[in-house]
Amino acid sequence: MRVFKMAWRNVWRNRRRTIVTIAAMSLALFSMIQYSGLMTGYLHGMERNILDLEMGDIQIFASDYLDKPSIYNRIENPGDLIKKLEAAGYHASGRLKGGGLAAGENSSAGAVFRGVDPGQDASVSDVYKHVLRGEWLDVGEPAGIVIGRRLALSLDVDVGDEVVVLSQAADGSMANDLFKVQGVLKSIGEEVDRGGIYMIDQTFRELMVVPDGVHQIIVRKPPTVPLDKATDEVASIADGADTRSWRQLTPTLASMLDSSRGAMYFMFVIVFLAIAIVILNAMLMAVFERIREFGILKAIGVAPWVVFKTVITETIIQTGLAIAAGGILSIPAAIYLSTYGINLSSMSGASIMGIAWDPIWKSSFSVQTFTGPVVMLAAIVLMAALYPALKAAFIRPVAAMHHR
Amino acid sequence: MNAENPKPIIVLENLVKIYRQGKLEVPAVRGVNLEIKSGEFTAISGPSGSGKTTVLNIIGALDDPTDGKVFVEGIHLASLSRSALSKLRRDRIGFVFQAYNLIPVLTAFENAEIVLALQGVAVKDRRERVMGLLADVGLEGMEHRRPDQLSGGQQQRVAIARAIASNPAVVLADEPTANVDSSTAEKLLSIMEKLNRKQHVTFVFSTHDQKVMDRARRIIHLVDGKISNDEIRE
Ligand SMILES: Nc1ncnc2c1ncn2[C@@H]1O[C@H](COP(=O)(O)OP(=O)(O)OP(=O)(O)O)[C@@H](O)[C@H]1O
Ligand SMILES: [Mg+2]
Repeated sequence: MRVFKMAWRNVWRNRRRTIVTIAAMSLALFSMIQYSGLMTGYLHGMERNILDLEMGDIQIFASDYLDKPSIYNRIENPGDLIKKLEAAGYHASGRLKGGGLAAGENSSAGAVFRGVDPGQDASVSDVYKHVLRGEWLDVGEPAGIVIGRRLALSLDVDVGDEVVVLSQAADGSMANDLFKVQGVLKSIGEEVDRGGIYMIDQTFRELMVVPDGVHQIIVRKPPTVPLDKATDEVASIADGADTRSWRQLTPTLASMLDSSRGAMYFMFVIVFLAIAIVILNAMLMAVFERIREFGILKAIGVAPWVVFKTVITETIIQTGLAIAAGGILSIPAAIYLSTYGINLSSMSGASIMGIAWDPIWKSSFSVQTFTGPVVMLAAIVLMAALYPALKAAFIRPVAAMHHR
Repeated sequence: MNAENPKPIIVLENLVKIYRQGKLEVPAVRGVNLEIKSGEFTAISGPSGSGKTTVLNIIGALDDPTDGKVFVEGIHLASLSRSALSKLRRDRIGFVFQAYNLIPVLTAFENAEIVLALQGVAVKDRRERVMGLLADVGLEGMEHRRPDQLSGGQQQRVAIARAIASNPAVVLADEPTANVDSSTAEKLLSIMEKLNRKQHVTFVFSTHDQKVMDRARRIIHLVDGKISNDEIRE
């Protein structure tokens, strides 16, 4: 308690310096908390978009589909498998996939057709919520298709226009039909934006002459189950098929998300290192102007450890106040940013690395968003205070007395 | 303890101190032999640069001798570790320096009590002892003042109270009156004398000042790092 009393009074000896130091720390903490919330929100949003709109958590394919993605490589009896997965707590929905050509009045483009069961698909994908103009698929409109944003541009078509689709059907015949654009999607991702055509699964089957099976089953896991564990479980249920997690399917994206997290921590380190220099300077000044005092303390038999504790306690007091101030200021800002976010609608429709990006950038806060920066600040500040504290602790009284 | 022939609390044997400044060697103490006994009231005098501070610092285990031996209460200081020396200073030696003795953020009371607190003396006993000592040095009612609210002389009194609080074997005072006017110096000396007589505190102090010297019962005169005269009066 004596150490604390002395440290507390020492902290307020040079009020202005203390306030500047605390303000610098609080500001750094505040910005790092917001930054970490925004980054987490960004990464979460990105991950959500990838998973909710496109990938699902896990996908199942026929065993050689990924090597030879042909219309013939199908999972037979998908209905049974989907039932088993749902019994195990997963959501699952089959999709049909095939490539071909789409043509508007004046132009044509390569396209990927996806046949989905709109009812079942809604349990694994939010793509139905991302219609920019028009409507999502409707079983009552078997000739209706929903197409990617840029495909609509390159075909120069919009809702209500007709599109001719050409391909080779599974029986070797020419697949060829006329469809009506029922909806144009918002930005989903590079592939869908440029060439995605969604249609009712039954329509796909007739067009491509695929009477049964699916090419892909998209699986969603409960949020609490870790991805690896879920993947293993799904793989054992889907025995004989090829089960992949989204991380395995898009390793570049997964590692990009991971490295963005890494970049976030790197940013922390840089900002906090700058703060460490501020602290080091303040504490060195505080120690050097008190050399004689430390000399007296050492002379009358105060152990180095006690002197060390005093200086460290001074740092802890200032850091504690900064954490309180920075933390308290952070809460309303965090609430604002996670509720209203930052509106980036001037960049709306943009996609980053082929991933759709919500124009309202919201923060995502958890306990870690706060504790991460706080713990890092505390650790780095204490490290910065170590040298001045040791310096004070091991001052030789005789040398210190000469100092004035 | 035998009052007729008290045993020496400080013994210096052939003490030598040479300061090294780069290639330059400055001999500050050149072979000092000395015994100080319990209850003494001793002045170390001598011209500036004669080695007074150096001798006191070495006795007080603040500095190491270049050669020779120092015994405090029979203990050879060279045999002690750094932390043992620190403990020896805390428990057996009181220090009063020329000026700026006190910790500015602590009150007079807290400054005087610091050593007792470090020794772990109970709060109540500490309080009693320190209040008594502050009264002895004439600072009754000023316990809660910070050093910057005290005059130089009053600050030295707090330093004296702090130095004797733990009942050390000896109080070493390096020019305790050098920064105060002569009447204040007289008063400080009277306080030290009183503590020496009534509480048997052993004082060794250095001084330039003839008047201060005259109050001592033994004067050790240093010239060029050697004892030129050791005079016991009374
Ligand atoms: N740290 C040091 N480094 C080098 N030389 C020193 C140091 N301290 C003291 N000296 C030298 O040692 C000699 C004795 O110094 P000391 O301080 O012991 O003298 P003093 O009698 O206390 O003098 P004063 O009356 O001026 O206080 C002097 O020549 C001084 O210059
Ligand atoms: Mg001196």
